[in-house]
Amino acid sequence: MSAILFILFAGLAIGCAVAVVAQRNPLYSAISLIGVFVALAAIYVTLAAPFIAAVQVIVYAGAIMVLVIFVIMLLNVDAEEPRRQRLRFLVPIAIGMAAILIAETAFILYSVQASGVKPAGPTSDVGLTHSIGVNLFTAYLLPFEVTSILLLMAIVGAMSLARQGKLLSATARVVPGAQVLAMEMVRPRGKEDLTAVETDTTAEAAHLMGVDFQSNPEERE
Amino acid sequence: MEPQLSWYLALSAVLFTIGAAGVVVKRNAIAMFMCIELMLNAVNLTFIAFSSFFQDVTGQLFVFIVMTVAAAEAAVGLGIIIAIFRNRESLDVDEASILKM
Repeated sequence: MSAILFILFAGLAIGCAVAVVAQRNPLYSAISLIGVFVALAAIYVTLAAPFIAAVQVIVYAGAIMVLVIFVIMLLNVDAEEPRRQRLRFLVPIAIGMAAILIAETAFILYSVQASGVKPAGPTSDVGLTHSIGVNLFTAYLLPFEVTSILLLMAIVGAMSLARQGKLLSATARVVPGAQVLAMEMVRPRGKEDLTAVETDTTAEAAHLMGVDFQSNPEERE
Repeated sequence: MEPQLSWYLALSAVLFTIGAAGVVVKRNAIAMFMCIELMLNAVNLTFIAFSSFFQDVTGQLFVFIVMTVAAAEAAVGLGIIIAIFRNRESLDVDEASILKM
């Protein structure tokens, strides 16, 4: 029974993975990748890891792939054209080295097969939320905290990479619904004058700052 | 017949190989990014399989942390992709070769 499930979901995962690489349209690749994630989540359930299976669907298929598809649609990516073949003489060498690698992998898998370990059954409590939570907050507390710092760095990095133009001055105040500029930027009289000036539209702010609002954003940078 | 540990390792190896080949073959930056996610998932499958077969929860905790790293990587990587697109109006990695000698 579990062998049938494994073959079913492994086939689904491999088929979707091949489709990820074979598709020329990035949007179809992304949808195939969601198929891989769901198939892997099903395999995780059969491996007594229900918590990781749920997180796989929620975080990977939910959050990360939504982000990727959002960027694909934002940038309006078109399908890539077939590429001209280069370095054709390397193809026989590549086939030979791939054969050597497959032989080595088969040898390793044969050794693992001979060791004869048994999987955790459905009654095992290895992958339950309780067991993962207890270990995460006792034995692995330091990696957990380091992960939070990593996420903070990712937030700051993503913001500074994706935002257009320069960062706001520390003396400028930001009010929702209106733009606020530091007085220093509007009338550069002295360094000590840091009063904020409020404007309602981008055109007005551009006029105050004396920049050409209509110009290409890349030229301003 | 029960699935053996080697079955899961073979599936993981196949998925990782497909992902690595995709990174080499693809030219679109977003498609390469998705192939990297595929490779991360292949490694996750190995962790889960070993965790289940050796009755040890450590592998699943590693998968949890790998997923966090993947989420951070998605945020920063897509930020970089947007920055590249804003500068060159293209996602072709062959064209972004200004550092090449």
